[in-house]
Amino acid sequence: MNATSKIESSEYSDLNKVIGWFLALRWIACGGVFVSQLVIHLFFHYNLPNNVLFTFTGLLFIANLSFTIYYILIKSKNLSRNELKAFFHIQVCSDYVLLFLLSYLTGFLENPLCYYFVFHIMLTSFIFSSTIVYIYVGSLLVMLISVMAAEFFRMIPHFPLNPTTNANYFDVMFIRGAGLCTTLIIAAYLITSIKRRIEERGRKIEFELDRYKSLDKIKSNFILQVTHEIRGPIAALKGFHEMILKGITGETTQRTRETLRKANRRTENLLTMIDEMIDYAYMKAEEKIRYGITGLYLKNIIDANIDLFLNAANEKDIQVASNCSRDLSLITSRDLMNIIFSNLISNAIKYSPAKTTVRVNAEKDKDKVHIMVKDEGIGIKSDELDRIFEEFYRTRRAREIVKDGTGLGLSIVQKAVEALNGKISVYSEEGKGTTFHIYLPSSNPNGTKNEKNQGGNNEQ
Amino acid sequence: MSNKSILIVDDDQDILETMQALLEYEGFKIRSADNVDDGIKMIEEFAPGVVLLDVMFPEKKTLGFEAAVRIKEKYPQLPVFMITAINREYSFNFAKEDISADEFFNKPIDYDRLVKTINKYIK
Repeated sequence: MNATSKIESSEYSDLNKVIGWFLALRWIACGGVFVSQLVIHLFFHYNLPNNVLFTFTGLLFIANLSFTIYYILIKSKNLSRNELKAFFHIQVCSDYVLLFLLSYLTGFLENPLCYYFVFHIMLTSFIFSSTIVYIYVGSLLVMLISVMAAEFFRMIPHFPLNPTTNANYFDVMFIRGAGLCTTLIIAAYLITSIKRRIEERGRKIEFELDRYKSLDKIKSNFILQVTHEIRGPIAALKGFHEMILKGITGETTQRTRETLRKANRRTENLLTMIDEMIDYAYMKAEEKIRYGITGLYLKNIIDANIDLFLNAANEKDIQVASNCSRDLSLITSRDLMNIIFSNLISNAIKYSPAKTTVRVNAEKDKDKVHIMVKDEGIGIKSDELDRIFEEFYRTRRAREIVKDGTGLGLSIVQKAVEALNGKISVYSEEGKGTTFHIYLPSSNPNGTKNEKNQGGNNEQ
Repeated sequence: MSNKSILIVDDDQDILETMQALLEYEGFKIRSADNVDDGIKMIEEFAPGVVLLDVMFPEKKTLGFEAAVRIKEKYPQLPVFMITAINREYSFNFAKEDISADEFFNKPIDYDRLVKTINKYIK
């Protein structure tokens, strides 16, 4: 039942709208009934109680007018669903009574107008549960059958639509009546069962959604677990390397130390690749990347990320210069900023020849922050430039220079920038260098503001 | 007179071994424990200058933060450094308000920075 109401609220989200539509339909019906009565009155000589009929049309008009006025009045008031439903019930009941009287006075079963009840059954089926629909159908059938019986036994008069066919009306009235009754029952059955199917599908979707949410949780835990499980052994591995390199385990030859340094470098590459894959998996799995926001001094973030690669830069005699005002701050995600800077700076160092300079600049540009990471490295061919943000893509030169790499770094950077509502662009000239420009809004309202100064190894 | 003794709490024996060796090499006096309860007991007798605490202890599923809180409650003056394999905050969604640690370090540890930071605290 709970699920049903959920579906109702999603499928026919605005009962208000349905009521509005219902009112409009009734206005058309009003006009239609009036015009057909006028036509019949003027051009056909049916023996109908016209005064009574025009009175009923007038009643229908007044009823719909008052419903419409009421509807306009309540529209702004945000009535509860139950109140709206009650309003709807009142309309349906008044329609039944009026339609019933109208058709009774215009030949009853002779008049195809009787079949208009089907439309009401349809409308009620869309909005109410099947029980209520069958109550409506049931009471309608009781009314139809009793009037039929009353007419048949001459307890009430029959108002013929066409006096010439009046003679055999009673011969065919039961066939017509049976036709109408079964039409109503079948209509109710079909629509309620279609509705039930839609609801079942809705329930299935909801079930899938729940399942998806729990999978999402498993995924997050998995990422957490994997990070821990893989970084642990690598940490131990690096620790052992370092012990040997520092001579703690005893004398080592030059050859041993060189070999170990190589082992260490590959271990670090492995770690970077694992981190990239985890970042990638995380960002890929999130429909919308969730992140915590915190007030950060950009200079601290930049310096901390330059620090991370200072050894790599020194080895190649590369200068890493930063230019950022000390008081340039923004409200943003520390994680995402670290992902952006660490990837861009490490790329710049990796793909630059010795004795060059990598520049990291940041400045305020109106309500945005403009970040620039510029190197004097190998550059990117223009035909490859379009593809560098693609997942797993590495340029030919990059693959030649650095063997290990996932080709995910820039794609992760792009996703991180986009998550922060920023823009990234790249300019490059082969052999001259590459420049990345990033524009970020000064503050990001999308994040969850739950961070203390934590994970604070970047900011001291 | 600085207290150059350090207590390391980590459930990974290899990590304990390497951290112990590398920090002893830097001139620190090291004691280690592979679980939080033993670690807290050791603080009493060993009186370390700094505690290095691994964030995750898988068998207990307590995320080490609890341990940090326990240590800080008993020894508010004692610096506690968290050593974590987790390098991103998104996988780090713990009750951040309760974090009592003074510093955070990622695994693998950058020993240069660790030694510098320890010296800053025990000076």
